[in-house]
Amino acid sequence: MTLYHILALSGVVFSIGIFGVLTRRNILGILMSIELMFNAANINLVAFNHYLHPGNVWGQGFSLFVITLAAAEAVVGLSLVLAIYRNIKSVFTENMNLLHG
Amino acid sequence: MSLIFYVFGALLVLSALGVVLLKNVFHSAIALVMALALVAGIFVMLGADFLGASQILVYVGGIMIIMLFVIMLSQQPVEALQRQVNEQWLLAMILSIAIGAGLAEGFKKYFAYHFKSPGLMPTSVSIGRLLLGEMIVPFEAVSLALLAALVGAVLFSQEQKDK
Repeated sequence: MTLYHILALSGVVFSIGIFGVLTRRNILGILMSIELMFNAANINLVAFNHYLHPGNVWGQGFSLFVITLAAAEAVVGLSLVLAIYRNIKSVFTENMNLLHG
Repeated sequence: MSLIFYVFGALLVLSALGVVLLKNVFHSAIALVMALALVAGIFVMLGADFLGASQILVYVGGIMIIMLFVIMLSQQPVEALQRQVNEQWLLAMILSIAIGAGLAEGFKKYFAYHFKSPGLMPTSVSIGRLLLGEMIVPFEAVSLALLAALVGAVLFSQEQKDK
């Protein structure tokens, strides 16, 4: 368990998240892939905090902010998804091509 | 410790692949629950005990419950059988593999030395002092952002009266 292995793991998870964002047709799948990318970034922050700056906790504090804002983003995004679903009865992104539902 | 980390890492990659590849979006939400719990385990191994606990509380206990609610509210039975990826999957695969390989290569260039792992210590006290001390301005800004998200969620999800 070295720093490089943790960073490589988070890089793999991040690129899996990018793949999900680019290919999913379901908007809920896209939101979940974004959560994966947030978590990869958080692993990076905590790993750098642990190995490079062991005396303080700034990396962990930043990760807490990332978690909090991810929660806020997920709540707003999911309520938007519900509002769109109520209008067009679909969660597939290619059907969401109207600005005015 | 090290063996547990590699097992967790392999399971994390597998469940992340499950999130993006499984056909039924409910199943991929379950895979995401597993991935988030494994990330919490990795946090704990990296000495971030408070962060691991709040990862479980906020993500696995909060965000994923809302996400499962929305999935159950918005899923039509036929959609689970339809194709879940769009036509650009090959291009996206090439792009994401390139990004992953680039990240791994860049990290290898700068961080491949063996950094000494310091011992694990409880961090709750120092995180509390950090959040209410030096990080007080972003802390308050985040509370404002959470309030805005709350109001926005209520606003977006209410039924429109004029229909």
